[in-house]
Amino acid sequence: MLQFLLRRTFGAVVILVLLSAFTFFVFFGAGDPAAMSCGKNCTADNIALIHQNLGLDKPLPTQYWDWLVGIFAGRDYSIGHCSAPCFGYSFATKQDVWSTLIDRLPTTASLAIGGAAVFLTVGLGTGLLAAYKRGSLIDKVLTSISMVLSSAQIYILGPIALGLFVYSGLMDSPKYVNFTSDPAGWFMGLLLPWVVMATIFTAQYTRMSRSTMIEQLQEEHVRTAKAKGMSSSYVFLRYAWRGSLIPIVTILGMDLSSLFGGAMITEFTFQLAGVGRLAIDSVITLDLPMVLGVLVFSAALILVFNIIVDATYAFIDPRVRLS
Amino acid sequence: MNALSTRRARAAIVALAAGSLALTGCSGGSNNNKDKAQTDADAAAQAKTIPMGTAADSTGPAVAVKGARNGGTIRVYQRDSYNHLDPGQMYVSDMKALSQLIFRGLTAFKQDDKGNAKVVGDLATDAGQMSDGGKTWKYTLKDGIKFEDGKPITSKDIRHSIERLYAKFITDGPTYVQTWLSGAGTTYRKALPDGPYKGDHLPKSVLDTPDDKTIIFHFKKPQSQLPYALTMPGYSVVPDSAKDTKDAYDVAPVCSGPYKIASFKSGKSMQLVRNKNWDAKTDPVHHQYPDGFNITFNHQASDSTKRLMADQGEAKNAVSFTNAVDPTLTKDVLNNASASKRMVQGYQPYVWQMNFNMDRLKDKRIRDAITYALPDQQLVRLNGGSYGGEIAGGLLAPTVAGYKKGYDPYGKLSHPNGEPEKAKKLLKEAGKTGMKLVYAYSNTESRQKEAVAIEDALTKAGFNVQKKEVDAASWYEQMGKVDNGFDIYMTGWGQDWPDASTVIPPSYDGTTIQDGASNYSHVNDKHVNSEIARISEITDVKKATEEWQKLHQYIVEKVNPAAPAFYTKVLQLYGSNVGGIRYNLDVSYLDPNTLYLKK
Repeated sequence: MLQFLLRRTFGAVVILVLLSAFTFFVFFGAGDPAAMSCGKNCTADNIALIHQNLGLDKPLPTQYWDWLVGIFAGRDYSIGHCSAPCFGYSFATKQDVWSTLIDRLPTTASLAIGGAAVFLTVGLGTGLLAAYKRGSLIDKVLTSISMVLSSAQIYILGPIALGLFVYSGLMDSPKYVNFTSDPAGWFMGLLLPWVVMATIFTAQYTRMSRSTMIEQLQEEHVRTAKAKGMSSSYVFLRYAWRGSLIPIVTILGMDLSSLFGGAMITEFTFQLAGVGRLAIDSVITLDLPMVLGVLVFSAALILVFNIIVDATYAFIDPRVRLS
Repeated sequence: MNALSTRRARAAIVALAAGSLALTGCSGGSNNNKDKAQTDADAAAQAKTIPMGTAADSTGPAVAVKGARNGGTIRVYQRDSYNHLDPGQMYVSDMKALSQLIFRGLTAFKQDDKGNAKVVGDLATDAGQMSDGGKTWKYTLKDGIKFEDGKPITSKDIRHSIERLYAKFITDGPTYVQTWLSGAGTTYRKALPDGPYKGDHLPKSVLDTPDDKTIIFHFKKPQSQLPYALTMPGYSVVPDSAKDTKDAYDVAPVCSGPYKIASFKSGKSMQLVRNKNWDAKTDPVHHQYPDGFNITFNHQASDSTKRLMADQGEAKNAVSFTNAVDPTLTKDVLNNASASKRMVQGYQPYVWQMNFNMDRLKDKRIRDAITYALPDQQLVRLNGGSYGGEIAGGLLAPTVAGYKKGYDPYGKLSHPNGEPEKAKKLLKEAGKTGMKLVYAYSNTESRQKEAVAIEDALTKAGFNVQKKEVDAASWYEQMGKVDNGFDIYMTGWGQDWPDASTVIPPSYDGTTIQDGASNYSHVNDKHVNSEIARISEITDVKKATEEWQKLHQYIVEKVNPAAPAFYTKVLQLYGSNVGGIRYNLDVSYLDPNTLYLKK
């Protein structure tokens, strides 16, 4: 297991370095960030000063190396020392990229974890129920609903939900409140985005868990268990459900990594200032250090979740050998 | 100032684009007569010459807002985060609104409930003592003025605040005072290339601080507008201490106004709390009624409009400093009994105009033909209808002293959809029927829609229009090039304070023509140039206003460098529990100074 983790971690680091290098050279080589961040009274002297302050007067490979070193050792800028992990300063706002990311992460993480809790519970529950009642009216209704909801989008459901619940005065506007300072406020502030997000995500979990469960119920070891006289519910939960979890975990890992990396449309729709919103704003304002920071951060999360998912397979299914 | 800076212009695109959907939102209905009267009253109030107040007008505390009470936190919905917190870098409207709460300068606009305004001393005891025919201005600081850390504000801080604007890291603020003191364009920077940070200072013959309370400006030419210029947030006070961290000051400034910044998370939120070292007795303008302001960003106009219209929960205690009502929701707001009682509206300082490149369109008959052909009413409709703007007869906005209501030499008000036949005739006289006209417009939804209407109107008038789409992000940079390659292009310009001297010289002075200058039409008329030089030295504001008005008429009628298109207006909503609402003539949005929570 340790060897597996080390190997995957090394691979992830290589991918991140390649990804960041590619992004760095594409973005920073495409234009002059100093000119973009210089104001309306900008002169050649002003631009030269910005180049100097941001280290943009050095060759591009040196700039990338400095950026890379800054992540592990910190860097000094004209506006102060940037402690490790230093991803640089935003051209647009002069804010430390890493601090900004960390500041935005709780909103995104709360959105992802809360949303996942809702869509996983409801999705798995309805999927298992549909599989258990395969062919019945309940199965047909649940399958139909999931088909309809799977075609919905957050940018459609979100404004409808806001109109029905927020602008009508039934609920307060969605907002992020620190969980430790006000758990109830945290829950109520994110309830609507969770529900809307879950409405869409639930559908694929319902369909996935239903189909994999039906497949599992037809497996030989399940039939054997039934033949041995074990109760249906015991076989269902002890043998079939466990076997059906691998594809669910795979999808969940992918969903969580992308949600942690920034649920852009959800955050934009509900005016939540998370990592996704930060990514949108940074791209709009061509704020290259922030774009690079968000990209590397999101990529790292995807890689981490992939490793976790792979490691989880071994616990779910002993037949999987990590080596 | 341009309608918006580059970064802001990109954001404005959304609002203007939304306006294009509001074709019926502002026309018809029983509100029109009432609104027309309100509009006329607004225009009359906003076009007055703003006089200098006396020393008595400059004493604190500010006149109490009727019914105001202390306490509570006002919620503020803003679309965009603040790009700058360093006052020296502040220029655009949203930062101007914020600066009202956290910064103070030597002077300020003082407005009463009847829409009358004066320029008064804020940190200074009066609006300034002028001598030597306007070349020398003396200011004396009040007692008891302090920064948020309790340090007294002295003349050294004022000198530092001015001198730091010469440093290279300051690139976004106003440049009026620096250029008046040390040279036009960017040459002023040579007088103090590193600002005051290496121990150098401007000579005493330029900026003198004989004692801790006195500041004396010495100009080469008379500068009657200094008290107005000093009201700009860019000239707010910055401490002459280690707390001025140069570039880093842009994220952690030291406040001097009634509120200070408790936290700022760019793109997310800002918390303002009471500044305990602000003394109301020293301040004739600002108040400190609420305990603080909780500002959150990323609220599009549609979102803030819906929240304020619903008026539920926290929205009852909310305003937006600079978000206007989403034009697509104007009709809903007007039809909503509750919301329609919670509106504030007024003119904004911008005049949208179709610039003619006078290096290419040398024949005035061609420029006149285009002016007559433009479908102004359609342009207004595409930008939000009567609540978003109105047809412009001239190039001075209703917010500028000297604006003359009804001035309309090209008959735009009587022919709101243009006069294609008249345009065709002029073109024929010029022998240019079917002439190729290169028309540049930015790649935003509203400008693209405008382009269709304008192309159609000009084609009917006999032009062969060649449309060229330009990236909105670099629109003003591209139009600001002397050799831009275009014949006509739309720009917006607004005053920096309500005086024509901040409109006519920047836009029509031929001596300023160079890449990046705001004389987008490249007007270089001897009479205009000499009149600008002459009027700029008139120290009697009333007399100068009359002269600017005459020059404005000459420019519009005899030169015609740009066809007036429309004046912009703003309509805003506020929560039902917020009191002290009024329109601020300086900020051109609702007044942040007078707000309070009713309960």
